[in-house]
Order: sequence, then C-alpha cells, then structure tokens
Amino acid sequence: MGRTVPSITLLYQEELQSLARFRRALRRSDQAVFDDLLAAAHQHLAAASYASHTLPFEVFLLAMLLEEHKEVLRLRGLVEHA
Amino acid sequence: MPDRTGWLFDLYTDPRDGLVLWLLEEGDERTTPHRLTQSFPVTFYAAGPDASLRQAWIWLSDQGVRLERTERTDLFLAAPRVVMAVTVPNAFTQPRLFARLSQAFPALEYFDADLPVSLRHAARFGTFPLGRVCVTVDDRQAVQAITPLDSPWEIDPCLPPLHALRLEPDCDPAHAEPQFLLVGCAGRQYRFSLDPPRPLLLNLAALLRRHAPDLLLTAWGDTWLLPRLLEMSRGAHIPLPLNRDVGRGVLRKPQRSYFAYGQVVYRGAQVQLFGRWHLDIYNTVMYHDYGLDGVLESSRVTGLPAQQTARCSPGTGISAMQIVTALRQGVLVPWRKQQAELPKSALDLLYADQGGLVYQPIPGLHRDVAEIDFISMYPSIMRRFNISPETVNCSGEGQRVPETNLYVRPDPPGLVPLTLAPLLDKRIALKHRIAKLPNWHPRRALYKAQAAAHKWLLVTCFGYLGYQNARFGRIEAHQAVTAWSRECLLRAKEAVEDAGGKVLHLYVDGLWVQLPGAAEKEAFTPLLEEITRRSGLPIALDGIYRWVAFLPSRGDERISVANRYFGASQDGTLKVRGIEARRGDTPPFIARVQMEMLAILAHGEHPGDYLERQIHLLREGKIPVQDLLVRQRLSREISHYRVPSPAARAAMQLEQAGKHLRPGQCVRFLHTLGKPGVWAWDRPEPFNPATLDLARYRTLLLRAAETVLAPFGMQVAPQISFRLPVGRATPQDNWVSQLIQVL
Repeated sequence: MGRTVPSITLLYQEELQSLARFRRALRRSDQAVFDDLLAAAHQHLAAASYASHTLPFEVFLLAMLLEEHKEVLRLRGLVEHA
Repeated sequence: MPDRTGWLFDLYTDPRDGLVLWLLEEGDERTTPHRLTQSFPVTFYAAGPDASLRQAWIWLSDQGVRLERTERTDLFLAAPRVVMAVTVPNAFTQPRLFARLSQAFPALEYFDADLPVSLRHAARFGTFPLGRVCVTVDDRQAVQAITPLDSPWEIDPCLPPLHALRLEPDCDPAHAEPQFLLVGCAGRQYRFSLDPPRPLLLNLAALLRRHAPDLLLTAWGDTWLLPRLLEMSRGAHIPLPLNRDVGRGVLRKPQRSYFAYGQVVYRGAQVQLFGRWHLDIYNTVMYHDYGLDGVLESSRVTGLPAQQTARCSPGTGISAMQIVTALRQGVLVPWRKQQAELPKSALDLLYADQGGLVYQPIPGLHRDVAEIDFISMYPSIMRRFNISPETVNCSGEGQRVPETNLYVRPDPPGLVPLTLAPLLDKRIALKHRIAKLPNWHPRRALYKAQAAAHKWLLVTCFGYLGYQNARFGRIEAHQAVTAWSRECLLRAKEAVEDAGGKVLHLYVDGLWVQLPGAAEKEAFTPLLEEITRRSGLPIALDGIYRWVAFLPSRGDERISVANRYFGASQDGTLKVRGIEARRGDTPPFIARVQMEMLAILAHGEHPGDYLERQIHLLREGKIPVQDLLVRQRLSREISHYRVPSPAARAAMQLEQAGKHLRPGQCVRFLHTLGKPGVWAWDRPEPFNPATLDLARYRTLLLRAAETVLAPFGMQVAPQISFRLPVGRATPQDNWVSQLIQVL
C-alpha cells in the first residue's frame, strides 16, 4: 500500500519463484534440503529488510550461512561435551 | 441579556438563522434543551495567478460576500501567501457558493473551503460537542457571547445525563421481515406491531413528545428502521417528530463501499437528525470496541458532532483535529492538496521506503516472557522528534533521521506534534488511572472506552501522515517516523542483550524478551528505564507470560510468522493473535472451544476430555446452528468471482431471494452436505439442520485444536486420541517435560 520499494517478503517470494526451475530439477531428497536453506533465509527477513541491500539475494545467502554456522557450533558443542 | 450555562449538544448551519446551537441547560432533575442561533460568517481563501483572481473577484462581487486581499501562512511554503479572502455572512450558503466558484474557476487553489462548521466554531470559540459553555443570549435567543467552561482534555469531565430512546426491530431485517418494534425508554419496554402503521406511529410520536429523548439509539436504524418509519409516516400522513428541530427534515446519506487498509469496507446508508442524535449501533464505527462512551469521547476530542463521529473513520477524526490546530494558528487548510514527493536517489528511496521492524519470532513454547511495548510509539516519535509535514526536509536543516537522508527541524513545534500532544498526554494519564483502579471499579470501563477511542485516533494519525490525499500528509514525514521506530526498536533490542537477556520477538513497537532469572515485574524495571534512556521514548511492561507459544506458518512449519501466537499471563489472562479464535470467519462454536482449551491449558490441565465432549455434542446435533455460522466479507461484486468461494455462493443464494449484497458487506452461511455446499443464513426459507455438513465442522474444530496443542508437543490423531510427542518437544527444556507430565 503506497510503497514504492517492494517489501522484503515480496523480494523473498520473487527469489523463490526465480529458483523454482532449479528446485524442480533437484532430486526429491535434495529439494527438502534446499527448502531448509530457504527457510533459514526467511528466519532473518527483518535484518535483510533493515539492511536495504541493493542485491537482497546476497543477504539471503548470508542468512543461510549464518544458520548453517549456528548448526555447526551447536554440533561442535555436542561433540566437545560428549 | 441573560447568561445560560449548559452543554453544547448540537451545532449545524441553517438557511434562515445561519447557525443553530442546541444547549442542554443544567437543571435539578434533567436538562432542558434550548435552540439558540448565532450569526456566524465564515471565510475561505483562493490563491492563484493575479489575472484569474481578478476574474474570480468580479464574479464574486455581486454574490453578497465580503472580499479582501490578505496574506496567510501556507504550511508548505516558507513565505506568507497572498490570497483572496471570501467571507460569507451565512455559513449555510457557503458550500453551495464554493461549489459554483470552484466550477467556474477550477484552476485556482482553494483553502478552508470545505470545513465542517463545528470545526470552525471550535477553532474560533474553543467549543466542542458536549463541552460545558456559558452563553449570553438576547431576547430572540441569539447568542451574543459564548465562553467554554471546560476542555476536551479533562480526564473526569462533568457530562450531561443523556436521555436515550432505544428502537429495535424484533429480528435482523436482513435475515427476515420484522413484525414488531421494540422500544425502550425511561426504564420501560414497549412492543408495537409494525402493521398496521397507524397505531405504531401514533404511539411512537407520543413517546417521542413525552420523553423528548436526546438520543435515538437504534439497531439497523440507518439501513432499515428509520427509512421504514419515515416511509410509513408519509404514507399514513402522521408526522413523526424524529427531529428536535421541527423545521428541519432528516439528513440522509446513501450507502457506499470503498477500499481502505487492504480491504473493501462497506458503509450503510445514514439517517441523521437535527437537535437530537441518531446512533445506529450496527452502523457505528468501533461500537463493539468502545461503545457510546467511546463515541462521546471521540466527538469531544475531535470536535466533530457525535452523529458524524459515530459514522466516520478515525482518520477523519484526526484530520479534524489537525484542521482545528491549523485554523487556530492561521494556517491555510488546503482543499485539494498539490504536494509532490521530494526527489530522491534510488538508494535514498531504498533506505527510506520501509515500514516498522518485524522479526520472525523463535517458534515454540517459551517460559517467563515479558512483553514490553513503547507507549503509542509512532505518535510519541512524532512528538519527541517534532515530525510534521513542514518540519521534514532533505536540505540538511535540523536533526538527521537515522539511516536516511531526511532531516527534521526541532522548532518551532510542528502542526502534527502540536495536535497530538494533548491527546497523548490524556491517553497516558488514563492508562495510569486504569492501572491503579481495581477491576470492579465503575470508572474503569469508562476510562478503557475513552483510551480505546484515543488509540484509534493515534493509530490513524500515522497513516494519514503518509497518505497523499491527507491535507497535512507528506510521505517524507511518514518515512521519518518509521526510520525512528526502527532505530528505537534496535536500541531497545541492544539494551536487552546488554542486560544478558534474549529477544524472542520484535514487532514494530513491542518486544518479547526473557531475562535470566527474571519472572516478576520489578525485575524488568531497570531494563525499561535503560530502554527509555537510550530511545527517549516511554515504554511499559505490558505483562509477563507464564508461557507463550509462537506458531509456525500453516503452510510450512519451518517458517515462523510474526503475528501468530498465544500465551497465558501470570494473572491467568490469555492473549491470542492470528489463530482461529481471533479470526472473524471462524464459527463461534469453534472459537469458543479453542479459547476454552487454552484456558484449561493455562490451569495446567489436559484439554482432551473437554474436546472429546464437544465433538460428541457436535455429532449429536446439540450445538445451536447459530453457533456454527461462518461470517465472511465479500471482497467484490458476486459477478466478478471467477471461482465462487463459499461466501460468494451464499451471496448468490441471497441474490436469488432478492437480497443484493455489496462489496464489503458480510454474508453469513452454514456448511451443508452436497452442492452448493453452503446455506445462506439470511435466506427466507427455514433451514433444515439435517443437511449440516458435520464432518466439515469436525475437521475445522480439530484443526483449531491442533493449533493449540502442537506447541505442547501433542497431536490430535484422526480418531481423537491424544498422542504424546515423539521428538516434537524439546527435552532439554525441563519445564516442557514437567508440563507434559502434568498433562
């Protein structure tokens, strides 16, 4: 409503759309992993919006990495305390 | 010349008397209404090229008006503006004269041209609806002087006892043809048959004369009852004294649909009276939210007559308040604003054109969570940082707005902050009083209604700042507000994290936080003080949840959604957002069961037995069909649906029965077996309960139950047994395991 710049949610949806062919060609098992990555990007939409980056997909990639690294740290913690 | 003291009840223009004022004079037992008149010339302004102004001057010179060349302040220009002032001796004739003038000279710019007379009066004399005044009148009851005796910002004003007459047909006219009219007055109830009309009209006229009510409070009065009564009165040649001002007819306005805030809104036709108010409880904006007390408060603070306030959006109300401020300051009020957005680079636009900050919350169940909210955040920002259309600039004057290339001049105080300041102060004062009063206190409900009325005015104030057609709107001011809101929210987040806490969720003006070891109010006080210190805005602890659950999206449970959660606070009250019980299209039965299940969970008990009992009742047909009604709003004309939704199919059935629904109107229906799968509730034929699609209701009920149970790690199996989770709960959270053991 009255916005000139598309909202971050809209940009996220557009990126999803643009990757639809890529996703379709993946194996079913890989599709699930791919969806996990995109869900990780969704988790940080607020920060991506605030960043107002001209190439939002770069920020989405960073958000995926961030979640991946969180998981690495969590697993490392489990191993070290085991 | 005698002085009269009383409450200003009604005010409108009149062809003969110029301005009519109704004063409710104070009396021992009840007030006495007086019809007073006042000479009230009104002035509007025109600006434009000299040649056009000269022609307009010649055109106006034989219209019985006073013309003057003068200078006035245009909010959007630095220097005063040369304008032609047109003073019309009788306020009644001004709108018509202006319509003709603007048609003859469309290229001129006009100011103060289409203002409600009550606002002009408010600006000149400090009057407002139901404000106490002292008037000096002459022998012909013409007002010579008027002095206000109170202000709209008084917390406990002395209000007149209003005498209401309640009128209600015996059933919803959209559902069936009413047979009786129920009348309530002075503690007595009457029931008149609508047919034949003669005895009804004579009795009703007698009641109106005997009780002389100030207010007609009706059900469907705008859309059905008063038009029907007036039609009967004409047909039977029996006058019905609905008006107090006998010389005037009633004011009728047609129905309309419009698009606002992402949805189609329907406004029914209107019937307004003179010297007496008519409020239709089903055509009064927010009546369900704040009732008559809220309407009166809105009217007092906005300066718009109660009949108008009841039917207009809060946006019109805040606009009215800004107009009064502008008139008092001698600032021109544009008729049609001609203001373009300031040029910006694409990058500036990218940074500025954003809304509030909204997090994706951490999904799942959380314990001891404090919800803290900035008090009226956006209006507080406007006031604190002096954000107003005339103070925001891109030329580097004043304080820079964070993360943007916008600047705000800190003084003089802007028009918008000036308008908001007393409203904000009153709202905060009311909130303090509400917090101190016990639940049973009679004043508590009144204060809450008043605070609710203020809330809507303050909420729309922000929207109007960015609305290009608003008289005092400007997109840069709107962008400055959201930029400050993001900044303040981030400062608050940093304060929480510096205190060792965890931010579970941020939502525009509120935060959900956990502080280690903090479960009591007092433990959060230092944090609140620190946030206020860092942001400069007042913040309050809304409450502490014993537990709160942030829910994932329905479509993908890996994705959390900002506004779908429920929680139980320490005092046992429940707060729910975005789940079935909050949705307007959920049948009342399902909403009730979901809320009851939450209440049971809040007591630490298992809702399984309760749910099974309800399913049993549904299966046995023991749930009243009214409780299974689905209510949905039509978003377009029925013929425009490509694939008719259940609501559209129900509306089609009504269309066949001769009842046409407009976009924005709601349709009520039941899910039924076979095709077309719905039964429109307002069809004239009786409904056969055997056709109810019970399986569908059961599915809807189970889905609502699942929403509530899922965060506790429970699922509803198809055969309605409850399974404990396999891996859904987080075993490391001790208290979740404890809760599950209790369950």
